[in-house]
Amino acid sequence: MSASGVVSMRSLPRLRAAIRAFGFAGLALIAVAVGLSDVIARAPADAAGMGPILAPPSSQFLLGTDALGRDLLSETLHALAITLIHAGLATAITLAAGSLSGFVAARMPWKGGVLLRWFAGILGAVPALLLAILFVGIATRDYAAIAAGLAAAPLAFSRTYDRARALSVSRHAEFARATGIQGTTLMRRDLAYEFRDTFLTIFARALAAVTITLSTMSFLGFGAVPPHRDLGLMIAAARASYLQAWWVAGFPALALLLLILFARLAAALDEGERP
Amino acid sequence: MSALQIDDLRVARGAAGRAELERFSLSLEPGETVVLLGEAGSGKEAIMRVLGGLPEPGYEISGTLKFPNGEAERASRHTRPHPRAAWLPGPYPSPFNPHATVLSQLSRVLARKLGVPLASGEAELNVVLRRLDGAPPLDALDAPPGDLRGETIAWGLFAMAFAQTPELLLADHPLSGLAPLHARALVAALLAEQKRAGFAILYAAAGTETARLLGGRLIVMRHGRVVEEGPVARLATSQAHAYTQMLFKGAVGVPPPPRNTGRGEPVLQVYGLEIRPRGRNDDAPDSLTFELRRGASLALIGEDGSGRRDLARTLIGLRRVASGRVVLDAVDIGILSESMLARMRRRIALITGDDDVLDPRMTIWDTVAEPLRAHLRLPRNILSDYGEAALKRVGLASLKPNTSIAALSAFDKRRLQVARAIVTAPVLAVLDEPLRGLDAFAQSVMLDLLKNFRGTEGPALLVITADFAVARTLAETALVMKDGRVVERGTLRDLPANSTEPFTRSLIEASGSLAQGGLPPEGAEG
Repeated sequence: MSASGVVSMRSLPRLRAAIRAFGFAGLALIAVAVGLSDVIARAPADAAGMGPILAPPSSQFLLGTDALGRDLLSETLHALAITLIHAGLATAITLAAGSLSGFVAARMPWKGGVLLRWFAGILGAVPALLLAILFVGIATRDYAAIAAGLAAAPLAFSRTYDRARALSVSRHAEFARATGIQGTTLMRRDLAYEFRDTFLTIFARALAAVTITLSTMSFLGFGAVPPHRDLGLMIAAARASYLQAWWVAGFPALALLLLILFARLAAALDEGERP
Repeated sequence: MSALQIDDLRVARGAAGRAELERFSLSLEPGETVVLLGEAGSGKEAIMRVLGGLPEPGYEISGTLKFPNGEAERASRHTRPHPRAAWLPGPYPSPFNPHATVLSQLSRVLARKLGVPLASGEAELNVVLRRLDGAPPLDALDAPPGDLRGETIAWGLFAMAFAQTPELLLADHPLSGLAPLHARALVAALLAEQKRAGFAILYAAAGTETARLLGGRLIVMRHGRVVEEGPVARLATSQAHAYTQMLFKGAVGVPPPPRNTGRGEPVLQVYGLEIRPRGRNDDAPDSLTFELRRGASLALIGEDGSGRRDLARTLIGLRRVASGRVVLDAVDIGILSESMLARMRRRIALITGDDDVLDPRMTIWDTVAEPLRAHLRLPRNILSDYGEAALKRVGLASLKPNTSIAALSAFDKRRLQVARAIVTAPVLAVLDEPLRGLDAFAQSVMLDLLKNFRGTEGPALLVITADFAVARTLAETALVMKDGRVVERGTLRDLPANSTEPFTRSLIEASGSLAQGGLPPEGAEG
């Protein structure tokens, strides 16, 4: 291996840490913007007739207006808040139904865990978007966030299960067992360290995946229900005016892009659950 | 013309940092052997890194190097291996990609080095392996490194180095972690090849045994400086510097003072335990009966794959007892449930030569306190007292308790295992190759710690080793195992003189301390 190769390999963890920090800083900025949306936004959500229809970005309307004369900056901020809330709920479901249960299943006695892993493997082979739409079909569009969270859970389950299995047969686990450490203590130990070391990465990875799923569902008409418009629904509603008013779809799309990009960076570009 | 000339080589971390190596000079003649001996951080690693063209980033390097058929160059500019020098690493830690076969990786490196097609590289490797006495066939290397034994990988690495027809061989601890029997065979092959091809050897060694076998010139290093230098033959018998004396004194091989080991209560009783040779299910199984009392010590001697680890795992309840009875601390472990077995094992300590056994995510403090927390649920202040006392005893009290295990050296990890064993106050301690891969200084310290542990806590010891000298230092009786069978048993004091089994004799001959120094005086202490 050349000296330059050594340098690049050694600097990789620092580069990843920098990428992660940048991603979380971006997410924090988005969270602050969403938290202050009622202050920053000049109009409440869905307030039509605030200005001329399809007005381009100007000093009066920074991001322009849409076909109903709504202020696009206010609408984008409100939609971003709804997207983030739904994605947060979906991520929590993914972490609980996927990651946490995968960890516990890996330590289940008998073949229970193996069977669950097998089932999760089959579900994981189906695109998460299709699964989420199926869940919405069984329930209603009001449960789109839960559906997106459950749809991302099989892959999160498989990933965590495999990691927990590798930990349970590692040399240090065998050493602990040989000196009388009980299986439950070992599981608690692994859970604590994995939570400390990888929780933020897993969270960010899941957030990116469910945001894409939720927005696509809304775009296709299976997600958010008006008047609670999220970014996917905003982009879908702007389809009729794409050609003459690029800003109507462009700015919501940019907000969505930034949210997903920062989440992916916060996960240090770690390959994760596919949407 | 010299095979290697090093002038005023200095390696330091940053411009004003502590020097890892101070103004080191060396002239190595063709066909000569120079052994660099010292503990970790003595400076020999820095020399090997610079010569191998692998300088650490962030280090300041000064001085000049002159390789065969080359001009003198600045050491800081030497950033790739020299074409006439072959690099010979050891199998531990593995220098291979775990997902590809060893054969494919060796062939690829060799083909690239020789500038020939991949098939020719493999053919060259085959030619050398067939020439080396005791080497495995080429096919034996056609597996991922995780599936191969250390000695098989070492033969492959040696063959690859020899196939390069080097003028200079840079051997960086190539025998580290190998059993003496295999180390001896590899050294014999190395010397035979040197005689045949006439290359010079610069050998970084951790222990004195390899230096004794290799001969040539010895350079003893400590803290980046040369402590003593001279022919191995002279330094092995007469050392001027106290550090060299300490290295050569070598506590390994010196038996413990006679102990009255028949009086303690029985800790481990084995009745008719059937052990079956691996992969030979149709063979009649061996039946084993023995007793180990508190304070006594039994060694299971054999090579990797001899069945000694399987036997030890059965004895501590990690493998089910198929036939016979194993009574641990007056409880028949064959009738215990898994959770009861786990409770039983709280009174067992394990100290191994494998540095992966400590969880790298944990801290020093968590590692020591875990058995106390999990087993005894002691109050925090008592827990803290126990832990600190144990860390002090092994010399780790100066490290911050929240230091991550991943940041520790192999020697520190080994000592931490002893500290963890101390806090459990075990009735039985399993020592699985406890000195493997350590340098002479670290071995000496570890032996003192283990003797102190044995004397203070007084557990029965089950020592697993391939080195007869280590067994003799830590145990009184032994079972010699080969291919899953016990081929000989007896006291370690008598076996060197009375053994009739050829395999046992070969192990005794391979253990350098016994072979060199003969039997130590009665009752000598390490």
